[in-house]
Amino acid sequence: MSDERTPLNRFWAEFRENKIGLVALVVVVVTILLALFASIISPQDPYDLAKLSLMDSRRPPGFVGSGGYTHLLGTDPQGRDLLSAIFYGLRISIQIGLAAGLVSLTIGTALGITAAYVGGRIEALIMRLIDLQLSFPAILLALVIVALLGQGKVQLISALVAAQYAYFARTAYGAAKAERGKDYIEAALATPLSGRLVVMRHLLPNCMPPLIVVATVQIANSISLEATLSFLGLGLPVTEPSLGMLIANGFPYMMSGRYWISVYPGISLIILIVAINVVGDQVRDQFNPRLRK
Amino acid sequence: MLGFIIQRFMQAVLVMAVMSVIVFCGVYAIGNPIDIVIPPEATQEIRMEAIRRLGLDRPLYEQYFIFISNLLHGDLGRSFVYNLPVLELIGGRLPATLELVLISVISATVLGVSLGIYAGYRPNSWLAKTIMAVSVLGFSVPSFWVGLILILVFAVNFGWLPAGGRGETVKILGVAWSFPTINGLSHIALPAINLALFKLALMIRLARAGTREIMLTDTIKFARAVGLSEGTILRRHLLKLISIPIITVFGLELGSTLAFAVVTETIFSWPGVGKLIIDSIGVLDRPVMVAYLILVAFLFVTINFVIDLVFALIDPRVRHGVVA
Amino acid sequence: MTYQNFLAPMAFALSLTVAGAASTQTLTMGVRGGPESIDPHFSALGPHAEAAKHIFDTLVWSGIDLQIEPGLATSWKPVDEDTWEFKLREGVKFHDGSDFNAEDVKFSIERIPVVTGPTTTAIYVRRVASVDIIDPHTIHIHTDGQAATLPNDFIRLFIVSSEAAADFSTLETASAGFNSGAAAIGTGPYKYVSWEPKGDLVLERFDGYWRGMGDWEKVIRKEIPNDSSRLAALKAGQVDVINYVSSVDYLALAKDTNIDSVKGDSVYIMNLQLDQRENTPLVRALDGSDLDENPFRDLRVRQAIDHAIDRETMVDIVLEGLGKPANQMMPPGFFGSSEKIPMPEYSPAKSKKLLADAGYSEGFEVDLYCTGDRLPGDAAICQGLGQMLTQVGIRTNVNAISKTVYFPAQARLDYSMFMNGWGTLTGEASYTLGGLAHSNNPEVKLGAYNRIEYENSDVDRLLQTGARMMDATARRATYEEAMEKVMEDKAYISIVQLQTVWGAKAGMLQFTPRFDEDTLAFFMKSAP
Repeated sequence: MSDERTPLNRFWAEFRENKIGLVALVVVVVTILLALFASIISPQDPYDLAKLSLMDSRRPPGFVGSGGYTHLLGTDPQGRDLLSAIFYGLRISIQIGLAAGLVSLTIGTALGITAAYVGGRIEALIMRLIDLQLSFPAILLALVIVALLGQGKVQLISALVAAQYAYFARTAYGAAKAERGKDYIEAALATPLSGRLVVMRHLLPNCMPPLIVVATVQIANSISLEATLSFLGLGLPVTEPSLGMLIANGFPYMMSGRYWISVYPGISLIILIVAINVVGDQVRDQFNPRLRK
Repeated sequence: MLGFIIQRFMQAVLVMAVMSVIVFCGVYAIGNPIDIVIPPEATQEIRMEAIRRLGLDRPLYEQYFIFISNLLHGDLGRSFVYNLPVLELIGGRLPATLELVLISVISATVLGVSLGIYAGYRPNSWLAKTIMAVSVLGFSVPSFWVGLILILVFAVNFGWLPAGGRGETVKILGVAWSFPTINGLSHIALPAINLALFKLALMIRLARAGTREIMLTDTIKFARAVGLSEGTILRRHLLKLISIPIITVFGLELGSTLAFAVVTETIFSWPGVGKLIIDSIGVLDRPVMVAYLILVAFLFVTINFVIDLVFALIDPRVRHGVVA
Repeated sequence: MTYQNFLAPMAFALSLTVAGAASTQTLTMGVRGGPESIDPHFSALGPHAEAAKHIFDTLVWSGIDLQIEPGLATSWKPVDEDTWEFKLREGVKFHDGSDFNAEDVKFSIERIPVVTGPTTTAIYVRRVASVDIIDPHTIHIHTDGQAATLPNDFIRLFIVSSEAAADFSTLETASAGFNSGAAAIGTGPYKYVSWEPKGDLVLERFDGYWRGMGDWEKVIRKEIPNDSSRLAALKAGQVDVINYVSSVDYLALAKDTNIDSVKGDSVYIMNLQLDQRENTPLVRALDGSDLDENPFRDLRVRQAIDHAIDRETMVDIVLEGLGKPANQMMPPGFFGSSEKIPMPEYSPAKSKKLLADAGYSEGFEVDLYCTGDRLPGDAAICQGLGQMLTQVGIRTNVNAISKTVYFPAQARLDYSMFMNGWGTLTGEASYTLGGLAHSNNPEVKLGAYNRIEYENSDVDRLLQTGARMMDATARRATYEEAMEKVMEDKAYISIVQLQTVWGAKAGMLQFTPRFDEDTLAFFMKSAP
């Protein structure tokens, strides 16, 4: 009997069978929603200096602050409600992760597919540079770029993109090269369709699966890398703290028992990254033909 | 085969040249190096003198050529901050980083591959599931957070291990190493664990994925059909087949671990090269930054080259020039 | 023999063992910053000078409260308009046994401009035109014009051995020569053993030190820049004493019975600086459009800002009690600090009224810049400031950035409103007011640190006459008057005076904290 479902439906049905993957996906979706609606659900706008009060600073979870509401997760040294700060911080982390991921995806895929399609010396040149870029550690590259360009969202995303596009390029190249040799591409090229159309309509979609897998991993990596850079003091500026910055700011307080300032943002960050990775794992397993018995 | 080696070697040299230009231009051309080096209250005379002394008044390409010619004589310049030769600065701290990285990487690989093979071999056992869950954590948790928690728990709370710094050293071959002493090992323990965690997770996942794939291949099916014991199958076939991707990743990740040592060294005050580079970036001590990046690039190019050679020896297709 | 005969020798032996036990101890210190070279003339940075003070002595000594005392020079007096005579201490030996004399002082002074690194120590000898040796223990220093405060400059003039450092006094040879130990011969309390950049500085006691023998046979200074790591090292017992315990940990530390904490007032005061130029780059209306003029030029706006700052809360909450409200740029009791200056009143209502009077009832927006990694609490104070100002209508964007970016940008006049700490390290007002409050005039070498183009002709006049007064009482009164005028103008608004905390193993040490925050092993005595 032929399977009448579309590939997407089939994919989704398989995905649903794995409980852990499903939970992770739910977590990711919930986190994205929390971040999207942060301004609505947060009891406080943590970036508005006019609303903060220093009298509320460093209070433990459960404290009722000067705003009249309970700070469920406590407050940070500036008097920010930690729950609100985490929501807004999630938003920044996701923004940066997605931006860096999507830009890297675009640039990397373009490079990789071009190399595979055009072939010849250009192919060799591009791939050699990509290989070199791949072996150069992302964190070093990001560090140096941020140190030279200064702090800010755009600079940070540039640094992350520079560190990661090579993964996409490499994957796209591998996939495109494999597809390029296949008959259906040869056939399409024989028609009057322009080369570019062939690439866009036939080559590209079939390279997507491995690229999606790399994308999930890289988005998680971007988020983690941004947190590390913030911790080292090279991340975003102080007044719009990302999760990494919240953790870094809170860490000096761990030794004096005010753990919540660092621990809660830390847990949120870990949950987000783990969830993305688990989803990515699941997707990769499903796309891997060699795992099908 | 010789042609292959020569070709790869030339490519390596070309890549080094390109890297050196990029690194040099990137670090020296952006911003005004002199601003960081001299105090803002310096008079105009002091400023001009400093610019002249550091050679910053020459055009960029001239600075680059001077840099390269010095490089080939083994002189990597002098640190702006310490006024010491960069080679001496980096060389003095390299053994510390090397021993930390090597201990982490070796233990992570040995442990990780073993656990990963098990997880791939019996994927449905509870142990395998636990291993996989832990590996996802190790993969995802930012290493600086783990480091800080390790210090809090083991050093401050329990007092079992020191909170930072390097232990007593013993001179072997004229270089100071700390792993031969017990005190040295106690200082290496926490940072090594911190550094190894990510690598461990990676190795587990890699080994597991590889094992799962290989166990489903025809080779294994035939081996079982022939009647070989599971142990023999594991030893003779699985290990050999899995070693190629593992070795590749090992080589690449060696470099990545060297880079991530930056974070670990900062947290544990480990007197290695990583801490040096972070501090140099913080004060924009450009000679040190450039020298470090070039050394790292050199390291990678060398590792890649060696891996290529190893594959050339193992893979007959490469040896006989079938695959370019 | 009878027990009385027995007792005396026993007591003597006992005292020997007790003294002996104390003097074979090692002191391990965990410090936030270390030297950049063993050559004391290489850098003018605080941590560098602090380390150098263990191996070398300065010509003039800066006491605990930063008032000058005899060091290697026992007395000094001006002999004419531009000559100072310094009498040198007799009987002082270098670590290699050679005698200290005028040759070494002349050599040291002349060596500085040649070997100094990026953070130049030439500022300490900038007024010196030439040095004449009168006899082995007397020198004449000729200055370029009248230099009333020359002795104060010499609190950082380190004296090296003219013999030992003779071959190591060029830029290429200096650092290597000192780091290897060949040239690192000083008159200080400890002899140099070894040093790793950013690592451990190992010293051993010099028994012939002119102040006497220190309590520690060996001293190890470990550089641990991260506050939490440093504290962790102390708690884990890896070091005996640490400096710069952060305000975050101070309160909890007070409850830890294993650790003594010693708190002292610091010379550093955080000052907010308001640009006085006609056009200022980082101020705008709330909707983003340009303002007609620079609001900070209006005294009422500056007063409004002053009234908006809640200094008590800054100290109690932001610094967790580790600080004192400040009303002027020098700590009380310093030469030139005025008792007549009132503590500004915290009143947001007055702020809003003053702003409205000045025509800014809607408020405006400003970008505030400060260092985030230089002094304890700087970023936190900055953020607190941002809150307080925003709440009276001046919407503030806080940028706490690295000092390596902040200071050059500040020198380029990139900022409109900025804050950093200032420490009057010479103990007297000409350093602070002369640098900050005088209009920027390179000809008279004043106003070099005035980055807001603040100009008050009365203040300029007072500072110039004060620099020429050789009578200390008259000079003090002149500086006090100048300080009063400067603080009234409110272009510089002092916020808090910092306090510094040291932590040590319980019962191990006794010492008096220094204003300049230096942590000196010789002055840390073993507790009885």
